[in-house]
Amino acid sequence: MIEANGSPALTFRRVSKIYDQVSGDGRFALRDVSFSIPSGEKIAVMGRSGSGKSTLLHLAAGIDVPSRGEVLISDRNLGTLSERARTLLRRREIGLIFQFFYLLPHLSVGDNVALPEWIAGSSPSEFKGRVSELLERVGLLDRQNDNIEKLSGGETQRVAICRALLRKPRLLLADEPTGNLDDENSELVMNLMLELASSEGSTLVYVTHSQELASLADQVWHLHSGALEAS
Amino acid sequence: MIFKGMLALFLVLQMAMAGPEWKVAEPDFDWSFPRDHWAHSGYRTEWWYFTGQLTSREDPGRRFGYQFTLFRIGLQPEPSRLDSRWATHSLIMGHAAISDLEGRRHLFSEVLYREVPLLGGFGAPGDPLIAWSLPPAGGEEHWELLWNGEAFDFHMSDPERGMALDLLTRPAKPLVFQGPDGYSRKGKPSSAASQYYSFTRLQTDGTLTVDGKRFQVEGRSWMDKEFGSNQLAENQVGWDWFSLQLDGGQEIMLYHLRDRGGASDFARGTWISKTGEARYLEAGDWSVEVTANWTSPATGAVYPARWKVSLEDVEYEIVPLLAGQENRSRLVLDLNYWEGAVSVLNSEGEEIGQGYVELTGYGANNRPPV
Amino acid sequence: MIRYFIRSTGAHLRQAPSLFLLTVCGVALGVASVLAIQIINRNAIGAFSAGIQAISGEADLSVVGRATAFDESLFPRVLGMEGVAAAWPLYQVDVALAERESFFLQIYGVDLFSSFRTPWSTTPEDLSEVVSEPGWMAVSPALAREMGWAEGDSIQVTSGTRRVDLVIGALVDFQKMSPLASRKMAVMDIAQAQGLLGTAGLIHQIDVRLREGSDREQLKGVLQQRLGPSVQVVTPEQREKQAADLMGAFRLNLTALSLISLFVGLFLVYTSTQASLLRRRTEFGLLRSTGATSNQVLGLILGEVVLLGAVGVLLGLPLGYGVARGNVEMVSSTLTNLYLLQEIDSLEFPFSLYVLAAGVGVGGAIAGALFPALDMSRRDTRALLSVTTLHEKVSSAALPLFVAGWLLLGLAGSWFWLWGQAWKPSGFVLAVAILLALPLLTPFLILKVCARIRVRGFNLAYALKTLSAQLQNTSFASSALAIAVSMLVGITLMIGSFRETVQLWVETTIQADIYITTPSWRAEPEAAMDQELVRQMGAHPGVASFEALRRIFVSTGDKRISLAGMEMRLAAAGQSRFPLVEGDRLNLLQQLRDQGAVLIAEPLARKSGLEVGDKLPLYGPRGMEEFPIAGIYYDYSSEVGSAAMDLATMQEHFGPAPINSLSLYLEADRDPEQVIDELRARFPGIPLRMRSNQHLREEIFEIFDQTFSVVRILQVMSLLIAVCGIMLTLLVMARERISELALYRALGAGRLQIFRVFVGKGLGMTLIGLTLGTVGGTVLAAILIYIINRAYFGWTIQAHWPGWPVAQQYATILAGALLASLYPAFRASRTPATELSRDDI
Repeated sequence: MIEANGSPALTFRRVSKIYDQVSGDGRFALRDVSFSIPSGEKIAVMGRSGSGKSTLLHLAAGIDVPSRGEVLISDRNLGTLSERARTLLRRREIGLIFQFFYLLPHLSVGDNVALPEWIAGSSPSEFKGRVSELLERVGLLDRQNDNIEKLSGGETQRVAICRALLRKPRLLLADEPTGNLDDENSELVMNLMLELASSEGSTLVYVTHSQELASLADQVWHLHSGALEAS
Repeated sequence: MIFKGMLALFLVLQMAMAGPEWKVAEPDFDWSFPRDHWAHSGYRTEWWYFTGQLTSREDPGRRFGYQFTLFRIGLQPEPSRLDSRWATHSLIMGHAAISDLEGRRHLFSEVLYREVPLLGGFGAPGDPLIAWSLPPAGGEEHWELLWNGEAFDFHMSDPERGMALDLLTRPAKPLVFQGPDGYSRKGKPSSAASQYYSFTRLQTDGTLTVDGKRFQVEGRSWMDKEFGSNQLAENQVGWDWFSLQLDGGQEIMLYHLRDRGGASDFARGTWISKTGEARYLEAGDWSVEVTANWTSPATGAVYPARWKVSLEDVEYEIVPLLAGQENRSRLVLDLNYWEGAVSVLNSEGEEIGQGYVELTGYGANNRPPV
Repeated sequence: MIRYFIRSTGAHLRQAPSLFLLTVCGVALGVASVLAIQIINRNAIGAFSAGIQAISGEADLSVVGRATAFDESLFPRVLGMEGVAAAWPLYQVDVALAERESFFLQIYGVDLFSSFRTPWSTTPEDLSEVVSEPGWMAVSPALAREMGWAEGDSIQVTSGTRRVDLVIGALVDFQKMSPLASRKMAVMDIAQAQGLLGTAGLIHQIDVRLREGSDREQLKGVLQQRLGPSVQVVTPEQREKQAADLMGAFRLNLTALSLISLFVGLFLVYTSTQASLLRRRTEFGLLRSTGATSNQVLGLILGEVVLLGAVGVLLGLPLGYGVARGNVEMVSSTLTNLYLLQEIDSLEFPFSLYVLAAGVGVGGAIAGALFPALDMSRRDTRALLSVTTLHEKVSSAALPLFVAGWLLLGLAGSWFWLWGQAWKPSGFVLAVAILLALPLLTPFLILKVCARIRVRGFNLAYALKTLSAQLQNTSFASSALAIAVSMLVGITLMIGSFRETVQLWVETTIQADIYITTPSWRAEPEAAMDQELVRQMGAHPGVASFEALRRIFVSTGDKRISLAGMEMRLAAAGQSRFPLVEGDRLNLLQQLRDQGAVLIAEPLARKSGLEVGDKLPLYGPRGMEEFPIAGIYYDYSSEVGSAAMDLATMQEHFGPAPINSLSLYLEADRDPEQVIDELRARFPGIPLRMRSNQHLREEIFEIFDQTFSVVRILQVMSLLIAVCGIMLTLLVMARERISELALYRALGAGRLQIFRVFVGKGLGMTLIGLTLGTVGGTVLAAILIYIINRAYFGWTIQAHWPGWPVAQQYATILAGALLASLYPAFRASRTPATELSRDDI
């Protein structure tokens, strides 16, 4: 079990995730993982494909539920929550950033950022300012009304970061955020992410392949066949 | 020539019964001439039957036999009251045949129409026209039978077959009743009878057309007129009828009806003297023996084709002048009969007269329906 | 590959039975509609020619009246013509059964003693009875069985006001010889038919057989010359063609509608195929990655499509037959009501129709599935195997298609303006252009509309905005719905306008209080009423005045029209009973009465290009005569042309005509229903149909609605199919957009929210379809009313928006779409967020 300092934003207690196989045996995507991440920490998770990184993030986000063990976000046990409650929790507490960006082509830049607030049902006046603020922070305020097709990969991911941070989530989860970017943009995006996470007070957990990018974090963890090791 | 019309009737119509409404032949019919030459509606059947032998004036070697018949076939005793010009209570049927003895051919033409003003009809006593009809399809000249004051004139034409007759007759002898007072019996039941008279010798001339070629002809004819309403008895299938004109100026008329086995069921005859007196013959008074046969290639019927007639100790040999004188109707189902010109020979084989023979009910097809 | 095909097909069908079912249904419905209409079309003609054949046998030529009947004395003239081998006359009259007034027997009066050979050569037992037994007739054994008749039974019928007892003299199987012949055929002697049931002096037809080797055409000419202008000498093929022409417009419309149904059926196949193929994307990816070529994959897909198509055909064939059967009655009565032709009695379809339908089914299935199949088989392997990205290339084709759509409209419009107006079917070209343009315009319109939408929340507006993301699917579904709605709206508008126009017309022309006719008049337009009876009814207490209508059929040379003769005077209300399109109202009566002029109906004027001042040629007993046209009046009672003239003129030129119907104008205080009862009591036993003004109007609209019901059926069918399209498209979108849905879930959207968005998508597509369809439908209605109608029928139709029926239809469609969206929305809402970035395949 790996201990970290501060009151935990995210805690895993002996979490295992088992997928059924055709042969009848279960495959352990995660095996008995336990950790506790204090607020404000930045954790990098590394591991090969199939090592369970995405699964970890899914469980952390409440998108999926563990087969065994417990997941706690801000000391709330996700296992005790209904699917709906988990969804609502996710709205409030979690921001997600994906490898493939996942911006919607039919929405403008600004609208893409605003999407989580729409989902939450807030009225535009409440979040309009925040959208502009975030976009300015990533240097894309002038592109607010543009179609996202016009953005480069790096710019797109920056917009995604804004979206993820729109609602001031406690926990920011990023799945290979620079996986689809070239080196230059990777660095830019990574720095932005870290900086914004700090300034917003979010805890950041990101999955990466790159040793170099991982070294930017406070801690680097390794996942190997579903088990967590500290580096 | 007795049942010709009646059997034709059966074959055409399969009449069920002589309805009580039809007038029947009576022994005491009130004859009146010339009125009775015209049609008698009210009787079921009636016909005017002409047969004869003619020679061409231009070419005396060219001999012909001919037949011309008009039938009235009653459908109901009283005229129809329907408001329609197609309404009718009888049919008019016509048969005409020419036997071209030199060309060895026999031609037959026929018409059948309902008696309506558009298609054919019968005149009223006193009209010049006794009967008329449209010709077969494709032609325009009517078939006609007229009273010329003394005897009959008649015309027929059939352009498609290239056949026509246009003949005038004058009586060489007065008319004669066939049977006492014109009452002629056909079978054992008393209902089987008709009113029957003949002109047994008519001087004939006019024109005859065969193959489109017209001949001026002259010769002798025989005319039968009959009307009645009765039916053949169940067992009678047909008859043989002979009309013979002897060179000596006498005529003989014989008929007998045959049963299914071919035996004679009923027979009668008439001997007409030179002066026109009629003597009626019973079955036992005469006999006939068939000495040859002829099979029709078209119908397969086997007809007698030569006879020895024995009458009051005189023997006559009757020889057809042409074998295939069979009439085959295309308008009426199964109506086929043999009607042909014959020569009368004495026992030495010399020609002593001429005549016509009619044979009906021969062959598998040719049965009156039961 | 074949083995794989066999094994996999079964698995697929089990996995997604609904998709399989929808494909099969799409094919079945397309096949059924095409087959049903083709059957009805063919049999409509067939019934006509079979009727002739059953009686006439193999005639080489027929002599028919230019109008209906002609002088029977022409018969000997035909017989006398060289080259004629046989000829037989025919008198035809339809009579109503006294017990079942809407059941008509077709009586053929023939001369059974003519030298002829009919197909039914079973000669009756006793031919003399045919002539002598009053009312003797022969019917088919099938009819006897159906009606419970036996030989010897007496059957009472009515012809005009005559009541006649007929007797079943024999049972003859007409249908054995001519299977399409109506079972209601009966044969009588011509004298009986004419004398008891019809008019003396006239016959309807003379059939002629020519001598072998004759030159038919030459003899036809000679005969025509010989017989004069009151008749036409035609070959059997010509008669069929005349009937076909008459029904041409009707059949064309039916065919057009069936093709549209087919198209919509194909659409169903397209979407369901696409949906099912998308499900199996990874399977195809695997096949390709193990070495299958794209052609092999294509073959696999098409093979399955052919199989499904075959199943669809098997379902569609009996369905089509059933629909044809079910609608024969109604189509048949249209034919008799409007076109005075034979009823269709039984349905026969040659093998070739089956082959056609099967071809349509399988071919259609392939056509519908081809695009998705090609698309799927040509995608590269990686694309098939990898996770779908949310980045779909925004359809850059939207603008070019839009332009193409306008180009099409422009071309069609200019073609029509410059050349098309002279060509009769040009209206259909325009209509097709509109329907084709709709799907071309839709994608761009969707893009533009969606771009303008300002979203403020995860709501309906958002749902609408997402439509532009999957243009390929959404525009397809929207445009299919637009097409269906166009048809629906267009036809509804047309029918509504037409009905309204007829309503107005009825109010103007149906002025009398009581209308009297005979039961057989419906089938036999020349059925007569007894003169004395008419006089007595006219003199009945309470009757202020009456009008006797005499109507005969005459020929204008190239068409047959009905000609009404009446005493021309102003009706009681002071209005002309002929509301005029054109004509000098002041001098009209004088022209009609003194100058022997005619009034012609609008359809006749339009179709023949006649105007006031022109002359109308009519063939009567004296040959061809011309009548000056004094006016053109509105007439919606039939599409077959009609004209009217003063009674004196008619009698002078055409002879005395029978009275067919009677109108009574009552005194102010008399109740029509009561007077009807009085008349019934006064004339018991006389077959009469008496209707008050009110009832007559109701009946007119019953017939009207009946005529258009065929159209409605097809509308419903296409609508159903289009709504299914919405469901399928949404299902496809639920699958294809799975990542997007997962994203929403990841971002915290609840299931209900996703459900609502999806329903919103469905409603959005529907709204777009409805809007486009309304526009398209309005234009279509205009084309139908002002172009197609004018070309084929010639009526003036006042455009009128039947607001309520249209609103009802829209509500139905929206409700249907809503329902159709529920299941896909449900499926969509169940998308777990884990669908995002799975790294296992």
